[in-house]
Amino acid sequence: MTVQDETAAATPVEQSSGGVVATLFRFQSVFGLLAVFIAAIIFSPRKDGEILFISADNLANVVRAVSEIGIIAVGMTFVILIGGIDLSVGAVLGLAAVGSAVLMVENDWGFLPSVVLVLAIGLVFGALQGVATAMIGIQSFIVTLAGLQIARGLARIWSGGQGVAIAYGDGPHEAPDSFAILGERTFGGLVPIPVLIFAVVAIAAVVFLRVSAFSRHLYAVGGNEKAARLSGVPVVRVKIAVFAICGLLASLAGIVHAVQLNQGSPNDGIGYELDAIAAVVIGGTSLAGGRGSVAGTVAGALLLGVLNNILALNNIDSNIQLLIKGLVIVAAAALQRLRPTS
Amino acid sequence: MRSVKIPLAAAAIAALVLAGCGTTNERTSDSPQAGASKSCKGADGKYTIGMSQANVAEPYRQRMDDDIKAAAATVPQFEVKFADAAQDNAKQVADVENYITQQIDLLIISPNEAKPLTAVVKKAYDKGIPVIVLDRKVEGDAYTGFIGGDNVQIGTEAGKYIAEKLLPDGGNVVELTGLAGATPQAERHEGFLAGIKGNPKVKVIAAASGDWLREKGQAQMDALLKANPKIDVVYSHNDPMAEGAYLAAKAVGREKEMKFTGIDALPIPSGGIKAVEQGRLSATFTYPTNGKEAIAAAKKILVDCGTIEKSQTLPTRLIDASNAAKIYAEENPNG
Repeated sequence: MTVQDETAAATPVEQSSGGVVATLFRFQSVFGLLAVFIAAIIFSPRKDGEILFISADNLANVVRAVSEIGIIAVGMTFVILIGGIDLSVGAVLGLAAVGSAVLMVENDWGFLPSVVLVLAIGLVFGALQGVATAMIGIQSFIVTLAGLQIARGLARIWSGGQGVAIAYGDGPHEAPDSFAILGERTFGGLVPIPVLIFAVVAIAAVVFLRVSAFSRHLYAVGGNEKAARLSGVPVVRVKIAVFAICGLLASLAGIVHAVQLNQGSPNDGIGYELDAIAAVVIGGTSLAGGRGSVAGTVAGALLLGVLNNILALNNIDSNIQLLIKGLVIVAAAALQRLRPTS
Repeated sequence: MRSVKIPLAAAAIAALVLAGCGTTNERTSDSPQAGASKSCKGADGKYTIGMSQANVAEPYRQRMDDDIKAAAATVPQFEVKFADAAQDNAKQVADVENYITQQIDLLIISPNEAKPLTAVVKKAYDKGIPVIVLDRKVEGDAYTGFIGGDNVQIGTEAGKYIAEKLLPDGGNVVELTGLAGATPQAERHEGFLAGIKGNPKVKVIAAASGDWLREKGQAQMDALLKANPKIDVVYSHNDPMAEGAYLAAKAVGREKEMKFTGIDALPIPSGGIKAVEQGRLSATFTYPTNGKEAIAAAKKILVDCGTIEKSQTLPTRLIDASNAAKIYAEENPNG
């Protein structure tokens, strides 16, 4: 199979319908992001002639603030593409944040073994959820609802119910300085490292979906599971792998969370699964599965970040902010309904 | 070709991540401390104050915002903006960053938790923004002033009141505690034990955690009532749980056998002061929101060009049937 064929298989929608309208819909979230970005510049408060929204500092804040949700949302995109859902990601983030803090601070583990173990926990946790949904046949909504409770419970047990504070240094009960770097900024103190991690994850996911045979399987399972199975797609393996990836990315986000807040708390990440799902939906990925893209999700996450930021800069009442965010999600979903099918 | 270029880009970014290691370090870059004098423009200035609240879903914190709003309305130079972190540390960090972007003149923050908010509060303070921290502390000393209540003292006052006023001849007390792991829960418990020490005939026969919630307090009290035939006083770590306990006792017709005390005494219709006034609780102890004091401190810094104390602890007040109505009216001058 040629590269061109794989690309077509990975993005099955737009090739056949063609035209301007289809392009608009295909890049719905990118145009949405552009529109919100321009609106943010227009409505940005100014101080001494400077547009505060587009100051380098502020833009860095915006992407930093979405980096954790962005990393989770990439994994969530995979799950939703196969027609599933993962409600456990916020709790897995909390478990990973607690794990990072406990291992490095209380158990005095090194940076690398801690990170590897925490990532492995996320991977295995996700894979087990995949097994439960793919092999036992329980709906992923139920499996991951249970997974949410279990991960939250594990986080509480592991931490003793308390947030574990992270101090840095070489002494006993201090996390290594190499870990602290993950929370800092580079390129003249401008680009937060969490943003770079998010960028690497997003680019890796886009590439993965473009070049691997796995991606065709993924879209096939999401499009029509029965047909996929009949045509020889290893449906069970694909599902387990997808949930494992989602768990892995949630635990990566948990590590980033812990280092940014200098603490691992069992209450970290409550409700983050909903923000991640919102980013995926705004990104134009269909909850029915089989259609969507990681690039859309990244644009969706950034759109939410820009929206949050410009509402805050204008001091819109926090209750009104909730209403506006809700309406944006509904609008994105409505646009999807209007989208021409191939 | 696209499929070849993208991995290259990924590799380049990965390399940049590695290159980034060991560059700037926010935690150790100390900029010169900003005194209050720099931000003070006197009575002719106009000032924007940013208030970063941990979670307005808690009535205590909504009241704190309301108190700040009311107090600021009396200072013509002040405009106050409000942000709510909805109990999410990460959201509160972003809220403070946004205030820094807006170049506010003074920051008031009631942190969700100490450790995660310390760095961003220091960032604001190092930029020359005076910071007033309310209720919960941050670590270190990179803030202008802290104003809060003393939970140990409140617990002690409650303990003394129970040991001396309600049960001078001794009796059985059950304790409804707040969320396990929360600092106020530990302090209100510790203070209480110190407060009842003087009367060894007062016995704490059972304790249960009601997680600060009315419905949880009610459910825990249901069980406590079944297990304990003789209860004289219910000491609750906050008013909503005390109200829940009262409902549980009333449901089995035992509310007259025992007395209930709470903590917080919010001057709102659903708060503890009204519950005392209406006879459900024997007493409650004020846990000040510090909103009024925060604006007074802000005025001192910005308008009067003065300095404030690094740490200010407000005393608690006993609210019982004798003063409940009066204090409720004082706290709500406009009805």
